[in-house]
Amino acid sequence: MPPVIDLDKCTGCGTCDAHCPLDVIHYNEKKNIPVVKYPDECWHCGSCRLDCPVGAITIKFGPEMLYV
Amino acid sequence: MGKGIEQFGEVLKTDVLIVGGGLAGNNAAIAACEVGAKVLIADKSSIERCGAIAGGVDHFMAYLNTDTWDTREAYLEWAGRIARGAVNLKIQNAVFCRELEAAIERMDRIGCSLRQPSGEFYRTTSFGLPGPYMINFNGKNLKPLLAKEARRLGAMTLEKCSITNLLTNGNGKVIGAVGFNIRKGNFYIILAKTTILATGNTNRIFQNPTGLPFNTWQCPANTGAAQTMAFEVGAHLANMEIVRITVVPRGFSAAGLNALTGMGGKIVNAKGEEFMFKYHPMGNKAPRYKLVEGVMREIEEGRGPVYIDCRHLSEGDMKHLKTTLGYDKDTLPDFIEQKGIDLRKDLLEIMASEGMQAGPSEICSSGIMIDEETKSTVEGLFGAGDCTDQMRCSHVCTTGGYLAGKMAAKYALTFTQEEPSVNQVKELKRKVYAPMRASGKVSQKSFEDTMRRMLWVYAGASRNEYSLNTALEKLDGLEKYFNEIKAGNYHELMRTHETRQILSVAKMMCHASLARKETRFGVFHRRTDYPETNPEFDGQIVVVNTDQGIKTFFNKLDYSTIPEP
Repeated sequence: MPPVIDLDKCTGCGTCDAHCPLDVIHYNEKKNIPVVKYPDECWHCGSCRLDCPVGAITIKFGPEMLYV
Repeated sequence: MGKGIEQFGEVLKTDVLIVGGGLAGNNAAIAACEVGAKVLIADKSSIERCGAIAGGVDHFMAYLNTDTWDTREAYLEWAGRIARGAVNLKIQNAVFCRELEAAIERMDRIGCSLRQPSGEFYRTTSFGLPGPYMINFNGKNLKPLLAKEARRLGAMTLEKCSITNLLTNGNGKVIGAVGFNIRKGNFYIILAKTTILATGNTNRIFQNPTGLPFNTWQCPANTGAAQTMAFEVGAHLANMEIVRITVVPRGFSAAGLNALTGMGGKIVNAKGEEFMFKYHPMGNKAPRYKLVEGVMREIEEGRGPVYIDCRHLSEGDMKHLKTTLGYDKDTLPDFIEQKGIDLRKDLLEIMASEGMQAGPSEICSSGIMIDEETKSTVEGLFGAGDCTDQMRCSHVCTTGGYLAGKMAAKYALTFTQEEPSVNQVKELKRKVYAPMRASGKVSQKSFEDTMRRMLWVYAGASRNEYSLNTALEKLDGLEKYFNEIKAGNYHELMRTHETRQILSVAKMMCHASLARKETRFGVFHRRTDYPETNPEFDGQIVVVNTDQGIKTFFNKLDYSTIPEP
């Protein structure tokens, strides 16, 4: 499972989109929010969470990884 | 109307083009800028967080001249033993030993010191090391700090850009590359006096034990772009037969094993037996390929599941371990916590990871053959990091990346800028965008999945002549469907090119593996028809693209003496 972005905390800076190594997070210019567009391609590297300036991102592992 | 190459896309000019902004690429950029060259780094992501150490790294191997095991000679002697048949000691001396002192200083200078806050180095032993060469450090921000330094020195970047092909002049010299923006799709034609390829190893090539192709130990965006591009222009590649596998927490192919075994974690089977001593005298600190073999065999022979046991660690060691684990893989502590595991009380289940194309040891890698100046066998083309045959792990990618930057800049300043023919650019552009117009009868995901499943069966941890030839036949059969893959947008176009690169690397791997008629590095190259290691194969299998298809030859290596400093 991909990163979970708390849109209440998100300031719309776009860093998560810019820094994601897998092009998983796309900033939606129209809605002004980051979208986890390709969740299956997440590497769980934590770059988005590390660089989010307001701590809006948590990493949630899904059952396909926790219980395989 | 323009008649030149500008009619096809945006033309950019630079002295040094670096493809891949990971650890090696960033170090190369810093060095090339320091020499005074104009530098452009192209990457599919950002130079701040792309590549294998995107979210951090916790170890850097070094000798520090404190004892007899802690010298250049001892390090190279060990390298020649553990990576015999793949490591070239003369080149190691150039890409690592001569650059080590400067690298340690550079890391201090950019604000990512290898030292603890006390000023001391925290050193541990793992993976068959003769002494504690492994320096533990906080490398969580190593990438952004390197990127900051590269930008400060004037390096330009082309981010969210997938480089697909190299440009050559009439004599076969590399004079730049082409690529496209993975969001907007615009085409770039980059003219460079020298080009450094630094795009890492190849992942997503073998079936993943969790069934999740992006759940990989190394970065799943690294798919053999450099190896493929270098091969296409006729460069020699070496060590390509190696299938690297490691030991990871069950369910999450995360780095961190060296932290666990380095701190004294014990690998145990279902009965609680510390079985690694059966396989290697160094037990839990055995070389990686032995750990993999031990874990695989315990499970195959019915003594699994297999765990890592850290319950005996002192409170101080446990505290250090918990901090370091998150340095190497930022999200590993979250995974352990979300599994409901407390390392002080519980065992952590482990497994053998997916296979990947990468080097056999922590020293040398697998890919573009480089010389003591990091030059490939093709003029104008250099290699850095894990996509070369001699640079692996954070320490050699740091030192060797820097050397590549210095050398590529030095040569660039003596070369003139050349322009490719209009036809070359036109033809490459047509090929790059062809998947946008394809039928879509086959999906990129199913194509890649089929390839991975097939390769693991016929060319994975157990191979023989018949299975490898079968793999090659099936790759040829599968390849006929490649042109049916449709990319619906530019992100998918990037993935489709990645699939093409993985296929190309798989072919090189099978050919190289056929030529190495022996078993070496345990399961990393296990030929069931030649189960023993044969000293006649103390050297590299070299792969090269010719008019008659893929050819291989043998490059004997000398381990009788340690090269002079």
